[in-house]
Amino acid sequence: MHNIYLIFRRDYLGYVKAWGFWLSLAAVPIFMLIGAAFAAFAAQSSPVRYYTVVEPAGVYASAIEAQFANDEDEQAEQIEEAVERMNLPAGQEQVDAAAQMRPRKFIEVPPPARDIDGLRPYLLGERTVSGPLGDKPLFAAFIMSADGQTLEYWSDDVNVGTLRYVARDASRRLAREAALTGAGLDTDFVEAAEKAAVDVPARRIRTAEEQETAGSEVTFADKAPVFVAGGLAYFLWLMIFSIIQYLLMGTIEERSNKIFDTLLTSVRMPQLLAGKLLAVFAVTSTMMLVWGLFALGGSAVLAAQVPEAAEKVAPFLATVFSPKIVIPGLISFLLGYVMYGMVFMALGSLCDTIQEAQTLLSPMMILLMLPMFAIMIAFQDPGSPVVSIASWVPLFTPFLLILRMPDDPPLWEVLAQMGLMAATALVVLWFATKVYRAGAVNGASVGDLGKMIKGMFSRKAG
Amino acid sequence: MAGSPLVLSHVTKRFGGFTAVSDLSMDVPEGKIIGFLGPNGAGKSTSLRMSLGVVPADAGHVSLFGRAPDITSLRRVGFLPEERGLYKKMTARDTITHFARLKGLTAAEARARADELLEASGLEEFARARVSKLSKGMAQKVQILSTLAHRPDFLILDEPFSGLDPVNQQVLEDLIRGEHARGATILFSTHVMEHAERLCDGIVMMARGRKVFDGTLAEAFATLEKGASIDVEEGFDLAAALTPKGFEAQRAASRGYGDAWRIVLPAGRGPQDALRAAIEAGAPVTGFAPDEARLRDVFVTLVGEAEAAALDAPADAAEVTA
Repeated sequence: MHNIYLIFRRDYLGYVKAWGFWLSLAAVPIFMLIGAAFAAFAAQSSPVRYYTVVEPAGVYASAIEAQFANDEDEQAEQIEEAVERMNLPAGQEQVDAAAQMRPRKFIEVPPPARDIDGLRPYLLGERTVSGPLGDKPLFAAFIMSADGQTLEYWSDDVNVGTLRYVARDASRRLAREAALTGAGLDTDFVEAAEKAAVDVPARRIRTAEEQETAGSEVTFADKAPVFVAGGLAYFLWLMIFSIIQYLLMGTIEERSNKIFDTLLTSVRMPQLLAGKLLAVFAVTSTMMLVWGLFALGGSAVLAAQVPEAAEKVAPFLATVFSPKIVIPGLISFLLGYVMYGMVFMALGSLCDTIQEAQTLLSPMMILLMLPMFAIMIAFQDPGSPVVSIASWVPLFTPFLLILRMPDDPPLWEVLAQMGLMAATALVVLWFATKVYRAGAVNGASVGDLGKMIKGMFSRKAG
Repeated sequence: MAGSPLVLSHVTKRFGGFTAVSDLSMDVPEGKIIGFLGPNGAGKSTSLRMSLGVVPADAGHVSLFGRAPDITSLRRVGFLPEERGLYKKMTARDTITHFARLKGLTAAEARARADELLEASGLEEFARARVSKLSKGMAQKVQILSTLAHRPDFLILDEPFSGLDPVNQQVLEDLIRGEHARGATILFSTHVMEHAERLCDGIVMMARGRKVFDGTLAEAFATLEKGASIDVEEGFDLAAALTPKGFEAQRAASRGYGDAWRIVLPAGRGPQDALRAAIEAGAPVTGFAPDEARLRDVFVTLVGEAEAAALDAPADAAEVTA
């Protein structure tokens, strides 16, 4: 144990003393903050553009303007509802401030010409039109066709589709109003009809006793297991991805440093491997812990500000720590880590450079992408046969067993999959140790398959 | 053999169809300095790695301190591998401390020992420098110090002098003598015979995976044909003059003092006997030099000139290892 600790300690300190570790550690919170700031900045910083509508009666210009106003009203309502739902101590000022975060980005101006040839220099930026924000080129022009059947959208930048979508919605609204009026109905008719429709609320079936106390409404607590299981499966997947770099780089470094002979005259091979696996596990856990604390701190601040948020988080925390999730989760986590960790360490022992490692990494990456698809399916349907069948593949079991738990699979299946996973982990451990020995001790390399196989099956040294 | 740190009995190692070491038996007596000699590719490194259990032997038996090499017996060994390597991002002090702890020293002992060794070797100002910042020679010193840090009973040094400049080679020779004086048994491999001549009590010579000699230096030199070189004035037939006196003389390349002759000494007769006989025969002697015994000549005698030429190959030439 002492030697395992010493190998662990050296490797762990080696990793955490490197600036790359601190960069990775800071990267997630920093990028989250930068991402949020960037999104807000992007929303605010996009330019205000002029558009014009060429039509005989000005009907569509008014309809587009009304559509913009309607969208803004809906946004304001949503903000108001959110403020109300969260019991935020906010008044109209906050709602207005939030609305101002997304100001109108398109302003109508009178058409400087009546056809596309006349509008062309304005749309190409060769000439400008006057508007409330000064002189600017036209961003887009709508031109009604002579037969009144088409409202053509002309612009030099066809990638920005917002204005066209607003015009399309406005056109539909206009058509609907015309149809209702033609049928002798007023515009409130549709709204009244929608309100008369039967509501379809979701109910969770429980035993009569449970329903007595818990009721039948679908709550966050009902949905939490699927989200938690999916989150943990994704977390493990992410962790495996994170350790690849550490294990590969560490092993390649030791191989290129030619340090194995020195180490193997001081520690046994299993001690060396165990120390290394533990070190990378601890490094990754440190990262996850810091990120977790960051998230927890954020949640605590949110809970202090918004009491309802705390109520919503509580079922998720309860699920995370429930035996049904935590036991298979931990077992999957440990065995998955051993399986994949050993594979990557063995691969690293065969490589002198990262370039060499990349040739071996590609098939492993493809292998790792497969359970990711199953994770996505499980979010939609935890009981999906795809997830159930794929979870019997031992290399996928660490990610998928936990995904099945919210669907209450038979106990024998859970135990059998754990057993299969454990057996596979042992086989992988044995095989990867052989490969590692071949690479580290016998100098086998990626392109040296014969030597590697010879090394793998040579008798174990004392 | 009881009391021998290392005993190899009929050890063989093959890599595919290639036999790297064939039926090697050797005994490293306690308290001795043994040179393990041979050209690159002779099987020295493979033999040493088998001795430590790093690679398993295909046949034969390895006994390290009376048992198969394991962590317990290896704790008494300091090993300097031929392919040197350290953790480049660790400091010199941490490196020595780490390896000393792996060999069983406590953290405090290991740190104290690291400081002591760094100071003794003049590296104290680089104690906190990363290995990557050290010169190659300094890094090699750090690795040697790491090998010695736990005061091993038995030092196994694989080509310890390779890569060192003459000054540091001398420093290492002194260090080996110091460890020997402390009581350590030392086995070191080299393809440079002069180091062995200066340091060793005994030598084991290898060629093409086989042992060709095992004994003391005196025994090694005893295998050589004894002789002397005598220069005489041009035109004097030394062979004709000495044959009646029981010496065989052969012409040799002139060294600039007249004609050069090499005298083969019969058993029981020394160089001075040959000189006396030449003078008595009236030879106009202009120069005289008894043969200087060299291990390289021993090796040539044992394996032939062609094989011995490999001794002159660069140190990093292909040593066949696993």
